[in-house]
Amino acid sequence: MKVVAKPIEMAAWFTRDGIPHPIKFRIVNEDESYTVIKIDKIICTHTEKLAGNCMYVFRCQSVVEGIERIFEIKYEISTCRWILFKI
Amino acid sequence: MVSSNRIIFHIDVNSAYLSWTSVYNLQHGDTLDLRMVPSVVGGDPRSRHGIVLAKSIPAKKYGIQTGEPLFSARQKCRDLIIVPPMYDLYIRSSNAMVEILREYTPYIQRFSIDECFLDFAGTENIYKDYIELAYKIKDRIREDLGFTVNVGISTNKLLAKVASDLEKPDKVHTLFPHEIREKMWPLPVENLFMVGRATLPKLNKMNIYTIGDLANHDVEILKASLKSHGVLIWNYANGIEDSEVRSCNLPEVKGVGNSTTTSFDVADRKTAHMVLLSLVETASMRLRNLGNCCRLVSVSLKTSSFVNYSHQRKLLTPTNSTRKIAETAYNLFDEIWRGEPIRHLGVYLSELCSSEFYQISFLDDEDTEKSSRLDKAIDAIRLKYGPKAVMRSVFLHSGLKPMMGGVTEDDYPVMTSML
Repeated sequence: MKVVAKPIEMAAWFTRDGIPHPIKFRIVNEDESYTVIKIDKIICTHTEKLAGNCMYVFRCQSVVEGIERIFEIKYEISTCRWILFKI
Repeated sequence: MVSSNRIIFHIDVNSAYLSWTSVYNLQHGDTLDLRMVPSVVGGDPRSRHGIVLAKSIPAKKYGIQTGEPLFSARQKCRDLIIVPPMYDLYIRSSNAMVEILREYTPYIQRFSIDECFLDFAGTENIYKDYIELAYKIKDRIREDLGFTVNVGISTNKLLAKVASDLEKPDKVHTLFPHEIREKMWPLPVENLFMVGRATLPKLNKMNIYTIGDLANHDVEILKASLKSHGVLIWNYANGIEDSEVRSCNLPEVKGVGNSTTTSFDVADRKTAHMVLLSLVETASMRLRNLGNCCRLVSVSLKTSSFVNYSHQRKLLTPTNSTRKIAETAYNLFDEIWRGEPIRHLGVYLSELCSSEFYQISFLDDEDTEKSSRLDKAIDAIRLKYGPKAVMRSVFLHSGLKPMMGGVTEDDYPVMTSML
């Protein structure tokens, strides 16, 4: 996996305790078209608190353009932003 | 009650501002670790506020010093990376660290934004081995929060502070009284807390170059030349210090002040008055927040040729009204200013007393009750909707900030010279 740190548009659901569960997201390609990726499986999650900044980290697995890939997405609590961190 | 066999930890974040910025950038996908390359945290180099606030260890090797202008830092190292400060991030990082520390002891003194004293009095049965505990805390901060700290262990705050400074980064050091001779005395005397650039030349003149020289000097001679400060640093050099780990870092507020270095030279009276007003706005709000009135107002200024002067006046009756303080500040300014361009302006309010009661005076020129209600209303609006919610119309289109001074809106743990 390589660090890409790209902002993404996310559809997610939240539990009653406020824990996010990502469902699918889309990224803007260079030609400004969208690629939608459905999250097939969340392998593991953890929270990180680096420099006091809380983020949920999800390691997921999806089929992207016919290839099964593992990637990492992050949700930053202070800004409510999702990023595709590593793929 | 201060017992003689206390265990005090001093936790010090290694190049705090720089580490925190670096960890934040890495968390957001930056691949460059600022700690590994020559880099500094500094103000915005485009405005004139550009000085080095923090430096990485590689930047230190180029001789870059904290506090020097960015311009000269860049001359020392051409590939220097300069990042702007992010105070809200620093406060968040510092709070996260204190939160972790609180799990180990309730006795914590936040000495500054990146330094804490921890007292482990009465925990002998919980923590068997303090060195192990120090490593645990240090490693936990590194794992959870991503930055490194130094831990100094000793029996008082001063020795713990010296210990944490011995070798960086990411280290644990002890400096117990029996280790003073071996670990502290060979250090240069300027490494001692409270020996700064004013004291150092005086000590060097007395042939004192190391902490050991100072410790073994005749205290009476030091007292004669440096007064009580001489006794204080002699005690420090001998590891004598017994202050408590206070949960509130600031002992007692003796005054409230604000100052600013303007990004342009102030050359006319009206602009200077506006800068003073904006400083008084924040200072008097803090004064009211403390529940105090002041009896002494002082104004200081620095000209473009770096000449300082100041002027102060005692008021007939104590006050905390923005208008009254500002008017006094204007008068003081008009009396001292000789027309030269100004770089820096400051206002300081002292001789505080409680604002619970107010002695009405025949000489009051305003309805104090009314103006205090106005100040109260404005403070409440600013607290609720932010400092920009209400401002004086004089600042409209002036390019000046209606409220100046202070670091951020949040409570920023300030530095103090008192342990």
